[in-house]
Amino acid sequence: MIIRRSLLRQGCRALQFRGLTPYRRFLSSEIDGINTTSDSLIDTQVLASREAEETDPGPRDTFAAQNYENFKHQQQMLGKLGSIVEPHYQPHTLVNNPPRPSEVTLELLLASQAHLGHSTSLWNPANARYIFGIREGVHIISLDVTAAHLRRAAKVVREVARRGGLILFVGTRPGQDRCVVKAAELAEGCHLFERWIPGTITNGQQILGKCTMKVVDEFDREVKEFEDQIADRPVLKPDLVICLNPIENYILLHECGLNGIPTIGIIDTDANPTWVTYPIPANDDSLRCVQVIAGVLGRAGEEGQKLRKEAAANGHITFNPARNLEMPDKEKIKEVARRRTSGLDYEEELGIGAALMQEPKSKEDELD
Amino acid sequence: MKASSLSIGFRRATCSFCRLSRQAQYESNGFRSFHPPGVSRRHLATTTTSPVTAAPELNFSKRDGKPIDERLLKRVRIVPASPSYFSGKPVFTDGLLSMQALLRKFQTLPCVEPNDAPRVAWKRFREYLGQVNEPVKAAKYHKIIQILQRLNRIHPSLMPEEVTEAMKRYKRDVNPHDNQAKPSFVDENGVSRGLGRRKTSTARVWLVEGEGEVLVNGKTLTQTFGKLHDRESAIWALKATNRTDKYNVWALVSGGGTTGQAEALTLAIAKALLVQEPLLKPALRRAGCVTRDPRIVERKKPGHLKARKMPTWVKR
Repeated sequence: MIIRRSLLRQGCRALQFRGLTPYRRFLSSEIDGINTTSDSLIDTQVLASREAEETDPGPRDTFAAQNYENFKHQQQMLGKLGSIVEPHYQPHTLVNNPPRPSEVTLELLLASQAHLGHSTSLWNPANARYIFGIREGVHIISLDVTAAHLRRAAKVVREVARRGGLILFVGTRPGQDRCVVKAAELAEGCHLFERWIPGTITNGQQILGKCTMKVVDEFDREVKEFEDQIADRPVLKPDLVICLNPIENYILLHECGLNGIPTIGIIDTDANPTWVTYPIPANDDSLRCVQVIAGVLGRAGEEGQKLRKEAAANGHITFNPARNLEMPDKEKIKEVARRRTSGLDYEEELGIGAALMQEPKSKEDELD
Repeated sequence: MKASSLSIGFRRATCSFCRLSRQAQYESNGFRSFHPPGVSRRHLATTTTSPVTAAPELNFSKRDGKPIDERLLKRVRIVPASPSYFSGKPVFTDGLLSMQALLRKFQTLPCVEPNDAPRVAWKRFREYLGQVNEPVKAAKYHKIIQILQRLNRIHPSLMPEEVTEAMKRYKRDVNPHDNQAKPSFVDENGVSRGLGRRKTSTARVWLVEGEGEVLVNGKTLTQTFGKLHDRESAIWALKATNRTDKYNVWALVSGGGTTGQAEALTLAIAKALLVQEPLLKPALRRAGCVTRDPRIVERKKPGHLKARKMPTWVKR
């Protein structure tokens, strides 16, 4: 590691070297103003002349790009040398390449500290069925129960995604933002990693009124001809909410309960399991455990989206289509076509034309 | 050989062979009414002079007799335009996420010192708020600015285009170097001007090379300032640099009291001297003449007798 990074460090030092530092030693602050001789004036003249030299960067800067290239080349050639480390925990893989529901094992959950509950004095007795025992004054969550609940939650997520439901991943603790964003990306849902604004569901028009929506067809292509009609539409509500820290987000869970939105949550030994529809008894304080659970649920959502798209390709619409939409009039279709041809709409949506042409194939349509 | 006697399958099989030569066939025969290939396969075996034109083929894709456009309404759904929909500030959140992703991608590139990075004027918070029209807090916007400042430090020779494009979106439409201070100069008579303030006093000074005369509001230094300390501090800038006999000073001072006026003169004479001899700056800074002393009389507060003095504490 030292050899690999030495060139980078040398390069950094070369960039950081500034000729100005030695001169500061000559400028002492102890010179008495009244008794100054012409020495201080000589110092200032010397300083001024040297400052003039330092204004242009000089040839040192041109080596930076070359040094970096050399470093990269060296890393490439020599990086694989040295001892081979056994497969070990690499934190970034949990976020970049999360595990699938089929890859969930008790060993994985144990290594992610999912079994560690809170002190016995802080427990919620409703969680008694999830607890395996006590160790060192701390409740230990039963991992087979955790795995079973996680699999059930993954199935729920997969089916909601398959039916075109809107899934919201919420994780507001510091450090949870990356896994929440990745899970939402996989499941093609929404994410929230900052504070939940109370009233986002019960007073949605006030809070989300300015946020834009879009109309998509079964292949997730935007149909821009409907943009006038969705301007006055009521705001969207999620169809499933996954909360990674339910104790801090009790307001969110209450709002979901009031509006009939099912929730999935990581329930620690001190949390109330009745707050969520599908509890996952696990440790919500360990970031690694949260990343595993968020990753698994994200992958489940990804599977569901894949199933939905396959069904769409085969001509089956698995979601409930939007209500109260009308066919856009001819002027609107022409306007969108004009925008597309003039290059104003840069995205590659095909609009109504392709949506109309590519009807879902069905068996009755085939001849012979 | 008639078209009707041929099966559909045979016709389909042979059309691919015959299509290319149909044009040549018709042209060689000299037929006037030429049907371009692809119009109908029924012309394959019949001549163009036939009066019978078969009906077009059946279109079985229109199911139930309903028009196609109505069926589009059964295939669409409404989704959020951005995955940050439920944050209430999707544009800001997406911007922050893209900046963070950019930083992660390019964080191993060599950087320069913050002082050596190009000077950039980032969008002010109010400007950004007006553009984005979302309830963003200043501290959250500052997170984006911190990432931009870090990205700006990437060595110029290795700066990726992606980063330059991203930074453009947050740059203010102004050149930071347009705000240049008006240069102070020595005029044709060799006079330089300086302005100094201290507490509520203001001093305006005209400095010219001379014998060492000082006039403050038309009076000499001894007439203006009774205290020796004030007299000394008024011309401290000249004293510290051994130029008391080299310059003449004409000063107009107003406001405040004796010490305030004397200190204001210090700063004003120092500024005027710097116009004449800029290289004296380090020496004057060491002498304490360059910084404008920001101390002012503290205001009286409610519940206090003066700025800090409180009324006598009573037990009950």
